Amino acid sequence: MQTSVSQNKLVSGFTDKANKALGISKQDALISKSYLAVAFIALLLGGLLGLLQGLNRAGLLELPAWLNYYQVLTAHGILLVVVLSAFFTIGYFYAGLSHTLGGLLPKVRKIAWIGFWTKIVGFVLVVIPILMNEASVMYTFYPPMKAHPMFYFGLALIVVGVWFLAAGAFINVANWRKNHKGEHLPILAFFATGVFVLLVGATAFVAVEVLFMIIPWSLGWVDTINVMVARTLFWAFGHTAVNIWYLTAVSAWYVVIPKVIGGTRFNDYLTRVVVIALVIMNITGGFHHQIIDPGISLPIKFMHVFMSLAIGFPSLMTAYAMFRVFERTGRRKGAKGALGWIKKLPWGDVRFLSPFIAMAAFAPAGAGGIVQSTNQLDQVVHNTMWIVGHFHLTLGMSVVMTFFGVSYWLVPYISNRVLTPKMNKLGVIQTIIWTIGMVIMAFSMHTAGLFGAPRRTSYTTYGDFSASLGWDPYMAAVGVGATLLLVAVIIQVYAVFNMMFFAPKGTTEFPIAEVEADEAKTPYMTERWGVWVVVMLIVIAMAYVLPLTDMIVNAPPGSPPFKTW
Amino acid sequence: MMTQFIYGLLFYIFLMLPPVANLVESIMITHMHMQMPMLVVSGFLMAGIFLKRFPRFFEKWNSNGIPGITLFMIVIIYWTIPRTMDEALTYQAIEAWKFISLPFLAGFPLRDSWKKLTKAGKNLIIIIFTVKYFGMGALYIWSEDQLCNNYLVIDQLTLGWGFITTAICLVIYLVYAFTVDPTKYE
Repeated sequence: MQTSVSQNKLVSGFTDKANKALGISKQDALISKSYLAVAFIALLLGGLLGLLQGLNRAGLLELPAWLNYYQVLTAHGILLVVVLSAFFTIGYFYAGLSHTLGGLLPKVRKIAWIGFWTKIVGFVLVVIPILMNEASVMYTFYPPMKAHPMFYFGLALIVVGVWFLAAGAFINVANWRKNHKGEHLPILAFFATGVFVLLVGATAFVAVEVLFMIIPWSLGWVDTINVMVARTLFWAFGHTAVNIWYLTAVSAWYVVIPKVIGGTRFNDYLTRVVVIALVIMNITGGFHHQIIDPGISLPIKFMHVFMSLAIGFPSLMTAYAMFRVFERTGRRKGAKGALGWIKKLPWGDVRFLSPFIAMAAFAPAGAGGIVQSTNQLDQVVHNTMWIVGHFHLTLGMSVVMTFFGVSYWLVPYISNRVLTPKMNKLGVIQTIIWTIGMVIMAFSMHTAGLFGAPRRTSYTTYGDFSASLGWDPYMAAVGVGATLLLVAVIIQVYAVFNMMFFAPKGTTEFPIAEVEADEAKTPYMTERWGVWVVVMLIVIAMAYVLPLTDMIVNAPPGSPPFKTW
Repeated sequence: MMTQFIYGLLFYIFLMLPPVANLVESIMITHMHMQMPMLVVSGFLMAGIFLKRFPRFFEKWNSNGIPGITLFMIVIIYWTIPRTMDEALTYQAIEAWKFISLPFLAGFPLRDSWKKLTKAGKNLIIIIFTVKYFGMGALYIWSEDQLCNNYLVIDQLTLGWGFITTAICLVIYLVYAFTVDPTKYE
């Protein structure tokens, strides 16, 4: 029996040789470079705004009259949750597709550029009303708060841009499969396919919300809007978006990290099953963001708890897989005893250290997520700083620190430069500062939330009310954390642009780990994306038909627009 | 096979637990579109070991898969009739019949028949279900009367949309099956 390994090795051997000889083509590199450059500029701006918020909530900084707290909050959310994550994900996966599929097709490159500029125009349209204080609706833009219509047109263009990128990725993958009949898609391209399927599925919901509900309402063509339906459509998107960034990070954990530590990847079949499971079950999980929304009956909420917790299962598989790979690699390097392998991990290598801390952070972050999916527990923390702490752990550590770790080889790779030991050291320092800052900030946010400090509010002592004064020490710590984080942001952005334009020339490897030598062949069913997409659609239909029909048929009178700021 | 049987059996018992059964039967759409398919799935999982133990029985009665899939269709169509759901909630005997018929007379024959059918046969079954789901959806959405004594009109409207969305998913699958040529890729 021919194992998948020999096949994979043949294929990867060939592409490896081609890529070693040629590296990434200049045109493909330019696409990824542009995306990463936008991503890290967004990080700098978003980080700066984060510091303003942190200092405001710490009671140290009163924002001037021309700069509204909610304006800052909106921009911070959009720059970091949407721009940084989306642009990084696309830049990373397009580099990955180019590397593993033997280069992007010329028409795919064209599509990628059209998508890029559509997104940029969209972002400009989004940013203008935010700067004019006409769209301080936060990144969730819940109706009945109404922003300037231009804000929503911008959002629609961003979605169109994403669809271009997804189409490009699918065309490249289909072309590769035509030329490699019966072979399994290279693992990184497999992750990319899952990510782009989810991006299309998720943005379809927000497109319906924006195009058919919010835009007619914001232009005054209709008087009222169904708030519950809008929120539900938003979270089908919002939850999935966040999970897409997480799946992007997970792809690096499975594929890249084993190579960086000098090992092999976890079982190929199970890896692909994790991707498929995450794709099928993800969008339905969005409902748990509404677990304490009124107007949804308890049995529905109860059933959706299962759908949300179901996503935890592939995450637990991932946790097991990672530590299995670490242990196996450590033992092969001669580690002894139960925990000896820990010493064999390359702690001084930023490409490992940063993603490792990201993974470790996912333990408390995931546990917090399970807490919030539980109705009764969520009632205590839902509208408090606890939630803010939670998503700074998941996004600000698990996702973003993986992205940072990736940047230390991806940026040199696409720029034909190298990661110098000095830059590696700077990266380690940056990782440590970011970790300390985020731990302080997230811990204080969680604690202040448990004591009742609300989220999405500017600084206030509620007339020096005693209970709210008790939050102050924690909120001061948030300010300290935010300051450290901005220092780390500046170092990270400096590192990225230095590696992109100034680091010494040379070749950097795109680290993709091989499978174990004696691994059984992965069944071909993992490659049947058409079937998985239909299963995903059926699961989504089953999950959303029930609440949406109820919200539409039994809707209260809709809401007129409000400007609350 | 044995592990599959145990998982199937545990799943079957789980579905029978009174709180679980009460919850999914309290909502019309979860009764028909969650509990019933899951009963079929439990039977599907349990069937493997029986197919292995009694190959001659299945070979004798279901050599080309058509008798099995016909039995499957009859059982499934029976359970999409509004009256049958009502009876399952009203009469204990019909409720027991539901828990027997779906796993053992739908799940079992499906497992044995599906791999014996040709590609055209499989697609035909899916086409029949697609048409039927659009029809049932139309019935449940546009019927002005309450079709089940045990469920409200809003429940049946929801179920109707459930049928329509599932049918749309099946259409998407059929378009995929008829437009994408797998030999180009596999």
